[in-house]
Amino acid sequence: MSLAARHLEDNGISTVIMGCAKDIVEHCGVPRFLFSDFPLGNSAGRPFDVASQAETLELGLQLLERAPAARTTMQSPLRWSADASWKLDYLDLAKLTPEKVAERRKEFDVVKAVAKTKREAS
Amino acid sequence: MATTAPETKTVFAAEHDVPIPYMQRTRDYYQALGFSPYRWAHFVDVPFTPLRTPLARARVALITTAAPFQPEVGDQGPGAPYNAAAKFYKVYSVPAESMPDLRIAHVGYDRLHTSAEDISTYLPLARLKEAVAAGRIGALGPRLHGAPTNRSQRVTIEIDNPELLRRCREDGVDAAVLVPS
Repeated sequence: MSLAARHLEDNGISTVIMGCAKDIVEHCGVPRFLFSDFPLGNSAGRPFDVASQAETLELGLQLLERAPAARTTMQSPLRWSADASWKLDYLDLAKLTPEKVAERRKEFDVVKAVAKTKREAS
Repeated sequence: MATTAPETKTVFAAEHDVPIPYMQRTRDYYQALGFSPYRWAHFVDVPFTPLRTPLARARVALITTAAPFQPEVGDQGPGAPYNAAAKFYKVYSVPAESMPDLRIAHVGYDRLHTSAEDISTYLPLARLKEAVAAGRIGALGPRLHGAPTNRSQRVTIEIDNPELLRRCREDGVDAAVLVPS
């Protein structure tokens, strides 16, 4: 998505990315980025919370209008929850036994094979 | 947990209450599984095009990584396990007029803490339409566009991105809101 934003911007279309993976988007380098510190999958706001979705979009639109230069990141002031412990869980190796790691590896090989078949068919 | 700075009443946030370091977590995870590390694209220079038309008169595109629902490829419902068969490998476009059935079971969203039950958490189409109705945005493009989450940076750069640009130009948009899921 970051690469797409860069390409559009390079060709005269102003862009804003709304996303939850701050390090990945900033690492690439994009013109404007609204960062929501939410679990991946909630780039546009909280589930069944229209006010949070409207606020998230509005911040993105303000970035489109007012960002002074490339690599402008704005962090949404919205919080996912008062307790931030959800941030510890994503791909947390400490919670996996060696057996579980081996199981995940097998699952991943299956997923990769499925994706390969699909990609070659398309 | 939050802590108080020594000899003050200032409360510091908990040590782990920072944006998740996804790149480090992903590298460590896949290394433990026995894979070589993925290299994320990065650049020194970043392009910038100031918005040339006031937003209230601008036409805006919505670009998503969500995938059209494919009934024949298994569970893509809320909280479904990662479903590689639901991936797509070509840029697609659907009319922006009605709400399309787009899912995110084909990407690694946080299945432990969220469920993708509400499409508006990853596709702000309803909110964008409200912004148009309120006069905040001039118009939406006639279609929204889907960008493949392809691991091949070459395909993204050489094929998908030019195709996205071509479609955005066809739609005559001034700006684009891109929402990775």
